[in-house]
Amino acid sequence: MRITTGAEQSQFLAAIDQLEASISQTQQQLSSGQAFTTAAQNPVAAGLVSNYDQVLAQSQQYTANGDSAQSSLNTEDSALTQVQSALQSLRDLAVQANAGSVNQQNLGALATEAGQIQQTLLSLANTQDGSGNYIFAGFDTQTAPFALTATGSTYGGDQGQRQVQIGAAQTVIVGDNGDLVFNQIKNGNGSFTVTPAAANTGSGLVGATSITSPGAYAGGSYSIEFTSPTAYQVLNAGNTVIATGTYTSGQAISFDGVQVTLSGTPATGDSFAIAPSTNQSLFASVQGLVTTLQQAASAAPSQVSLSNSISAAIDNIDQALTHVQTVQASVGARLNTITTQQSVATSQQTQLQQNISGLQSLDYASAITSLDQQNTTLSAALQAYSLTQGLSLFKYL
Amino acid sequence: MANAFGIDVSALQAFQQAIAVTSNNVANASTPGYDEETIELSAAAPQNDGAGLNVGAGVVVDGITRAYSQTAANQLSSSQSGLGSINALQSYASQIDNLFGTNAGGLTTALQNYYSAWSTVADDPSSSASREALLGAAQALASNLNTTGGQIGQLASSINTGIGSDVQQINSIATSIASLNQQIVAASAAGTGQDPNELLDQRDQLVSNLSSLVGVTTSTNSDGSLNVFIGTGQPLVLENSTTTLSTIANPFNASQLEVSSSTSNGHSISNLLTSGDLGGLLAARTQVVNPALNQLGQVATAVAVTANTQQGEGLDLDGKLGSPLFSIAPPLATASSANQGNATLTVSLANVGALSADDYQLSYAGGAYTLTDTTTGATVALTGAGSAANPLTGAGLSIVVSGAPAAGDQFLIQPTAQAAGSFGVALTDPNGIAAAGALTTSAADTNTGSGAIGAASVVDAANPNLLATTTIEFTSPTTYSVNGAGSFAYTSGGTISQNGWQVSITGTPAVGDAFTVAGNANGTGDNTNALAAANEESQGVLGNGATSIGNAVSGLVTAIGSQTQQINTAQSAQTALNTQAQSAVQSVSGVDLDTEAANLVQWQQAYQASAQAFTIANSLFTFMIDSINGTYT
Repeated sequence: MRITTGAEQSQFLAAIDQLEASISQTQQQLSSGQAFTTAAQNPVAAGLVSNYDQVLAQSQQYTANGDSAQSSLNTEDSALTQVQSALQSLRDLAVQANAGSVNQQNLGALATEAGQIQQTLLSLANTQDGSGNYIFAGFDTQTAPFALTATGSTYGGDQGQRQVQIGAAQTVIVGDNGDLVFNQIKNGNGSFTVTPAAANTGSGLVGATSITSPGAYAGGSYSIEFTSPTAYQVLNAGNTVIATGTYTSGQAISFDGVQVTLSGTPATGDSFAIAPSTNQSLFASVQGLVTTLQQAASAAPSQVSLSNSISAAIDNIDQALTHVQTVQASVGARLNTITTQQSVATSQQTQLQQNISGLQSLDYASAITSLDQQNTTLSAALQAYSLTQGLSLFKYL
Repeated sequence: MANAFGIDVSALQAFQQAIAVTSNNVANASTPGYDEETIELSAAAPQNDGAGLNVGAGVVVDGITRAYSQTAANQLSSSQSGLGSINALQSYASQIDNLFGTNAGGLTTALQNYYSAWSTVADDPSSSASREALLGAAQALASNLNTTGGQIGQLASSINTGIGSDVQQINSIATSIASLNQQIVAASAAGTGQDPNELLDQRDQLVSNLSSLVGVTTSTNSDGSLNVFIGTGQPLVLENSTTTLSTIANPFNASQLEVSSSTSNGHSISNLLTSGDLGGLLAARTQVVNPALNQLGQVATAVAVTANTQQGEGLDLDGKLGSPLFSIAPPLATASSANQGNATLTVSLANVGALSADDYQLSYAGGAYTLTDTTTGATVALTGAGSAANPLTGAGLSIVVSGAPAAGDQFLIQPTAQAAGSFGVALTDPNGIAAAGALTTSAADTNTGSGAIGAASVVDAANPNLLATTTIEFTSPTTYSVNGAGSFAYTSGGTISQNGWQVSITGTPAVGDAFTVAGNANGTGDNTNALAAANEESQGVLGNGATSIGNAVSGLVTAIGSQTQQINTAQSAQTALNTQAQSAVQSVSGVDLDTEAANLVQWQQAYQASAQAFTIANSLFTFMIDSINGTYT
């Protein structure tokens, strides 16, 4: 092929242009530290980086959500701990009142103390978080959910439970509504209640109650009636006698899965009603105890009646304690879940950052090597140009 | 003797001319389009010397020819057209590529911030600070989409400018070619038998320049004039007459310029122009710029629609169903300016899942409508009649025709072209953010069974009774009544639908157990809706639920990147091809200074030799005269 002067020049220029363009790109890589700055330089990696960036940002947001959830749950956890300690004090107080050795004046003092604990519990149930939200109000976080009434309390919140996203497919409940924590507590022993008739004249005391085996009790109502101080019969809701027996103080009476221990000396005609447990608010249970103590302080009732009332109250408080413990356990479990999730998220984030860096970060060694190579090529090309430019026949004429 | 003088003079003249031609070659060594010229010499016809011998009569200059190869020139002009086209396309593709970068022009970050802001609202729904932050993030997202949309719009208008200037240049080149045609015909007809080389060079150079603007084919007439055709054979120059190109507005979109010619009756010939800078600009518009705007608009639409839908399903701090968070222009429908009927279209988005980034053309013929995807050319299934009660539905769009179309009328529907530019934040009050779910469910405290009610989900936010309180009461373990009426069979986990919501109850409820679904009044601490909104980024929305917004953005980055990469590769290939074609032309027609130097020396020596021969002939002649005069010594 015939190479003309013009062709030689334009070929040289094209080659220089190309070399300078690649040097410029390598320079850009080196100054930005990134292997590519537009998607066209590596479309697949750019798409992946965009995806990883999204997942990373999401994961970081999940971590932030988890932190926020942790703080909420910690607030709840500490409130629940205090509720338990208040309930424990109340229980101790009730046991003290039931000791039989307290006089009326002391009962009055105990009633006052119980009232104070009641106020403590109320303020705990109306706990607010750092932003002023009531944590036991469900979704209705702007108004205090609990207010005391003569028989217990009203609940103004709702049954909402706020969830927070702590992972791509994982949410955690950050609040328990007050209805769940303070209202949905079974009374009695959790399965049934035993209530002495108000008209009882004997000294029959309700002792330990239980169900013989889980599921054996079908939830019916019964009545234990004393036909003589030593004989009883059990009637079901339809007034049919389903069991009879000889009464021995302290010995359990069993029927239909129910086990009731009575002690003392019941009179003929005395009866004890057995009914399935219903939900009773913690405040209703506490109010029951306060009312009992207050009444006992003002007009001394029979020791048996006082004792039965206090026992029932203690049963209810025990139920409340167990219930609050259960709730707290679930709070703890959720805190654990968050901690686990946070550590998973941290390693996931590290992995994602590594992936992004692997795709996008510049391999300096290879970039510098190629810059060096490109420089060498360019200076060689320039050298070659100046050499060939000297080769003209006109020079020798 | 006289013969020798004649021979010497012819040689001296010829070599002078040869030196002039060589000098001219050297002088034009860098002139674009100049073809190397060669002097054609031949021996003059011999003369009989009377003794029967034929003695040569010297040298004759037959002509000066230019080194020209039609094949090489055609190859160059076709490779120039290809290069012009790919250069224009690459210029726009790389601008879009730079604009989008690796994070869709900051869209990735703006979207992440926006969805994170929803998540922060979900963490503390009653906090006005996090609500304000969400509105701020929404505003930043809107600005990002507006800016990117605006920049793409600027590219579109710079394409218009490019088309206008290309058309002007083509017209001016066409006029010059026509006038050169005239001069060449005149010069050739003058009877010298000599080609007007310089004029031909100029004309060839103009054709070469033209070929980088638009694809060109040529044919030479017997009189030496050149016919030039562009595109798929539209005549631009026929001998000395020209066709004038002009720009006209696209019949569907006045802001988009198309090319028309003085012979096309006002119709666009844009689709016939596929190469050269002009073809590249037109291709950049349909292949790069408009699709990028549409794809961005598709993402913007998906973001706006999902956010607004979610808003409508939740309650704001005032306890009202949320109003739209974003505002966005509806799909754009334009009637062709050529339409005979007076029908106009109102197009709305019916199903974001079926929304594509393509444009559509609705044609009316034979009493029926046809919807065609202008990108794929495929016909899209349409249902409905076009009335407000029964709109045409297809491609996720709902089309209402008002007025009467005439047969042959056409409409262009651009579902997403305006979305990015018009994307705005409609909500100004942070309290208006619907973080709370619309409904709250509760179980009565007196319930004795194990039934539990789940959260209610909104199915139809427009139901007027959505927030009405509904009580579901169990009349037996297997049946329930709604608000005290009816008896419905209960299955654990089954869906109970009412008033635009649905809910499910699980477990074993007892007789008399009651569950309530009610408006979430005072639900300031509820974050159900904010939680759902924060998750929209990764929920399948587009592609009938297969593609999430996040994936769509990554897809956009990859798609634009690969397209640009592909165009870059094609550009390198075309550049190499063009370099090759240029070398081929140069190798035939270019001036090589070394050759010229050698020629110069050759002609100089020949001239000197002839002059020497003349001197010898002269001295012989003098000797002879002297001998006759007896003066010879």
